[in-house]
Amino acid sequence: MKLPRALQLSPVWTPYVLLSPFVVLFCIFGLFPLAFSLYLAFQTWEPTSGLTAMSFVGLDNFVFSLQDEWFWKSLKNTAWLAVASGVPQHLVAIPLAVFIHNSFVRSRNAVVGAYFLPYITSTVAIAILFSSLFSTDFGLVNAGLRALFGGEPIDWLGRPENIKPAIAMIVFWRYVGFNVVLYLAALQTIPKDLYEAATMDGAGRLQQFFFITLPSLKPMIYFGVTLSVIGGLQLFEEPFILTGGRGGSDQSGMTTAIYLYRMAFDFNDFGAASAMSWLLFFVVVVLTWLTNRAFKPRGGSA
Amino acid sequence: MNAWGQAATQRRRMAPALMLFACVLIGLPVPAQTALTVAAFPSVDKIVEAAIPAWKKLHPDVDVKVVSRQFADHHTAMTTALSTSFYLPDVMALEVGYVGRFAQGGGLEDLSREPYAIRRYESQYVPYAFQQATSRTGTVVAAPTDIGPGTLLYRTDILARANVTEADLTRTWDSYVDAGIRIKAATGAYLLPHAREMKDILIRTGIKPGEGLYFDKDSRVIVNSPRFVRAFELARKVRQNKLDARVSAWSTEWSEGFKRGTLATQMSGAWLAGHLSNWVAPATKGAWRAAQLPEGAWAAFGGTFFAIARGAPAANKALAWEFIRFMTLDRERQLAAFKSQDAFPALRAAHDDPFVELPIEFLGGQRARLLWREAASHASAVDVHKQDAFASEVIDTELDKVLDHGKDIATALADAERLLAKRARR
Amino acid sequence: MNASNDRIAPWTAYVIVGIGALIMLAPFYFMFVFATQSRTEIFSLPPPVWFGDDFLDNLKILTDRLPFWRNLGWSLYVALASTALTLLFCSMGGYAFALFEFRFKNALFALVMGTMLLPSFMNMIPTFMIMDALGWIDQPRALYVPGAASAFGIFLMRQFVTTSIPKDLIEAARMDGCSELSIYARIVLPLLKPALGTLGLITFIASWNNFIGPLIVMRSPENYTLPLALRSLQSPVDTEWGALMTGSAIATIPLVILFILSSRQLIAGLTAGAVK
Repeated sequence: MKLPRALQLSPVWTPYVLLSPFVVLFCIFGLFPLAFSLYLAFQTWEPTSGLTAMSFVGLDNFVFSLQDEWFWKSLKNTAWLAVASGVPQHLVAIPLAVFIHNSFVRSRNAVVGAYFLPYITSTVAIAILFSSLFSTDFGLVNAGLRALFGGEPIDWLGRPENIKPAIAMIVFWRYVGFNVVLYLAALQTIPKDLYEAATMDGAGRLQQFFFITLPSLKPMIYFGVTLSVIGGLQLFEEPFILTGGRGGSDQSGMTTAIYLYRMAFDFNDFGAASAMSWLLFFVVVVLTWLTNRAFKPRGGSA
Repeated sequence: MNAWGQAATQRRRMAPALMLFACVLIGLPVPAQTALTVAAFPSVDKIVEAAIPAWKKLHPDVDVKVVSRQFADHHTAMTTALSTSFYLPDVMALEVGYVGRFAQGGGLEDLSREPYAIRRYESQYVPYAFQQATSRTGTVVAAPTDIGPGTLLYRTDILARANVTEADLTRTWDSYVDAGIRIKAATGAYLLPHAREMKDILIRTGIKPGEGLYFDKDSRVIVNSPRFVRAFELARKVRQNKLDARVSAWSTEWSEGFKRGTLATQMSGAWLAGHLSNWVAPATKGAWRAAQLPEGAWAAFGGTFFAIARGAPAANKALAWEFIRFMTLDRERQLAAFKSQDAFPALRAAHDDPFVELPIEFLGGQRARLLWREAASHASAVDVHKQDAFASEVIDTELDKVLDHGKDIATALADAERLLAKRARR
Repeated sequence: MNASNDRIAPWTAYVIVGIGALIMLAPFYFMFVFATQSRTEIFSLPPPVWFGDDFLDNLKILTDRLPFWRNLGWSLYVALASTALTLLFCSMGGYAFALFEFRFKNALFALVMGTMLLPSFMNMIPTFMIMDALGWIDQPRALYVPGAASAFGIFLMRQFVTTSIPKDLIEAARMDGCSELSIYARIVLPLLKPALGTLGLITFIASWNNFIGPLIVMRSPENYTLPLALRSLQSPVDTEWGALMTGSAIATIPLVILFILSSRQLIAGLTAGAVK
C-alpha cells in the first residue's frame, strides 16, 4: 500500500504525526486539569457557590495544610499503609514466583491466574466482600482465627489499631499477584546456563537464589517497587470503601488521598484540597527519586 | 379567562399537537415536550416516580425525568454540578445534612423571594423542617418534603424480663442509663448500639439561641461547654457499665443485634420502624414499641428537601417550583409517600389524615404515628456552620479516645477545641 | 552439604503456592456463594459457606432495579472502544518516543510521566467542565476517549519498542522505500503484539472497573456502566446485598474469561516491558 508521493511522510515529520492524537488528548484531559488544580491551590473556593466564588489567597492554603494535624496524620497513615502493604507484596511475590517458575510448568497459567484474579476485580465488589469477611462477630476472618488460635473476636473495622492491618491485608491480597506476574516474567529471562554453571560449581539452591536470581531480578524489583511506592502513596479506593468513605475511627484508615477527597466533597474546601494534592505530589516525587537512587546509585547502572 | 383568552389557550394547547402531526407527516423526529429533570436518591426517587401520573394529569405537556443515584454519589454529583453550573437538574432532592452545607454557599435559589415566595406557605410546613432550610441571613434554600422525628424504639419483652418500665427509660437520661444497667444484669441485652448515639442526642439539647451545634454565630468554638461535658460523661457511664454493643448503625452486627434481641433500644428517626419491619428484623414483629426520647428531648434524624439551583435553566424554574409545590404542599402526594415509603410528611395538613391513627402491627398495634406527630411539632432546628461536618468527626474521635483509652474529658474537649479553632473561619 | 540445600523440597513449593492460591481465590468463592443467598441469609451468624438457592431471586431484584443487561452492554462497549483507542494512540506514541528524535522529546516524556503521580480525582471538576463544553455529558465517548492518552500505556509501549525493535530494522525498511506509515503498520505493530496484548488487557480491565469516570459524566441510569449501576443498589439504609453480590459476580466473569484467554500474552508483554 503506497501512498501518493505528496502524502508520504518524511522521517522528520513522522514522530509529530504519530504523537499528535496522544498529545491532543493529553493536553485536554491531562494538562488542563493539572493546571486548573494548580490554579485552584491558590484560591479559596466553596464549590457550591459556583465558579465566580473563587478568590485569591496566595499561599494560605499551603500554610494551612502544613499546619493541619489531620494532614500530617494522613501522611503517617499513608506511609504506614504503603510500607505495610508494599513490603510484604515483594517479599512474598519473589519466592512465590521462584517456586512457580521452578515447579509448575503445565499448570503455570492456572496458578498465575489464581494469583492475578484479585487484581482484576472491581474495588466495589472487593470492598463489600471484605467488609463482610472482616465483620467482628460474623466475619470469616475471625471465624478462621478463632478456629486456629481461639480467643476473642477482633474488632477489625471498629478499632483504630486494627483498621490499618485490615486495609494492609486487603491491599496485599489485591496486588501480590500482580507482582508475582512481574517477577515470573523477569525470571523467564534469566539464562538457564547460569544456574547450571553454578550447580556444577557446587552452589546449593539457596545460594543460587541469593547470588544469581536476586541480582538478575534487580531491574524488575526496581520497577515493581517504584510502582508500589507510587501506588501506595496514592492509596484511595480500598480504604475508602472499607471505611465507608470516612477514614475510620480516629481517622486511622484515612490516607492522604482520602483526606483530599473529603476536604473537597465533605468539607467543601477545594482550595485546601488542591494545595494538599500538590504537597502529596511533591512527596511522591521525592520518594520516587529516592527509590531511583537506592536502586541506581550515582555513576552506575543496575 | 375571557373567550379570546380561552381560544388562545386552546390554540396554544393545540399547537404542539399540530406540530407533532406535521412532524410525523414529514418524518422528522418529534420535538421534545418540556421536561423537568429531578435529581434524587433512593427512596426519594421512588416517591417522585410514583407521583408522575398525578403530575401528568395536571401538566400533560410536562414530562418528569428522574435521575437517581446512590445517596452519597448523588450529593457529590450535586456538589460538582453546583460548582460549575453545568448540568444542573431543574429540581434537586437534598438530605438535611447537605441542605445546611449548600445553604452556606450561594448556589441554591432563595425561595423566600419572588416569584416563589415560599414564606406564604411557611405555616403549612412542620416548623423545624422549614427552619432547617432557612439560613442565618433569612434566605430559604429548599422546601421540606419529609422529616424524621426522633423516637425511642424499645423491646417490651426485654424490658419486661428486666422489670423495667417505659417510664424508667424516658424519665431522665440518668434513669435511662440506670434502666440499662438493670436490663444488662437481668437479660444480658445491651441498652443501645453505641455510646456515641447518646452523645449525639445530648449535645443537641440545651442549645442557647445564637448558638449552633459546635460553633456560635461568630464562629467561636463552643465545644468546651457543659452541654458537651454532660454528653461525654453520660456516654462514658454507658461504656463503663458495658451497656453499648459498640456496633455502628447499619452494619451487619447491628442488624444481627436486632434479630437476636441483644439490643434493647434504639434512638432514631421514626422511619427506622419501617426498616426493622421490612428487612432488618421482621421476625421481631410485635415486640417493639415507640416512645418519646428520654427527658423530653426532641430531635430530628434525617429529612429530605427539594431545592432549585440558581444556575439551573431559567426557562424551567417556574415549572420546577410548580413541581416542588406539588410534591410538598399537596396532601395527597405527601400521604402517598407516607404510606408507601414511610416518609413522614413535612406538610402539617397530612398529619390529620386517619392514616396517622392506624395501629402499626410491627409495634404491637401501637398508634405510634401520633407520638411522632407530636415529636415533629416540638423538634427545633439548629444553626448550621460550614465546618460542622468536620467538627462532628473531631468530636467523635475525641469521644472514642475517652471511651476506649480512658482519656480525660476536659483534655479531650480542649484538644477538640484547639483543632476546630484553626478551621473555624475557613 | 549440597544435598541438604537441594532439599528445599519440591513439595514445599506445591504446598506454599497452593495455599497462597487458595487464599487468593477464597474471597471470590464467597462472592459467588453470597450471590446465591438472600440478604437476610448473608447477614446471619454463621455466614453461609455453601451455595444457596436465591440466585434467581437476586437476579430478579437486580434486573428490576437496574437496566442491568443494558449496563453490562455499555460496560462492554466502552471497554472495547477504550482498548482500541488506547492501543492505537499509545503504540503510535511509544514508537515515536522510542525510535525518533525530535524537539522537546525528553521534556514531553517527563511531563507525561509526571502526570502519573497525581491523584486521579483532582481531575473531577475540570473533567466535568470539559465534558460539558464538548457536549459529551451522558455520552459513552466521554468515558473512552480521555483514557486513550494513558501515561502508563505510552511508557509500556516505549519500553517494549526500545527493547524489542532494533533500529536497523526500521532503517532497512526505509532504505527499501517503505513509507513511514506502512513501517508502523506492517513492521512495528506486528512486533508489538505481546505488548499490545498486555496493554489491551490492562486497559480493558481498568475501563471495566472504572467508577469515578462514569460517576462524573453519566446522568441517565440507562447509560451507566456496571460499577456505577451496582453502586446504585447501595444505600446507607437499604442495600440489596444479595443482588449486589450477584451483580458483582456477573461483572467479574467477562474479566476472568478474558484473562484465561490472554494470560500468556500478559506475561510476555510484561517481560519485555519491564526488564531492561
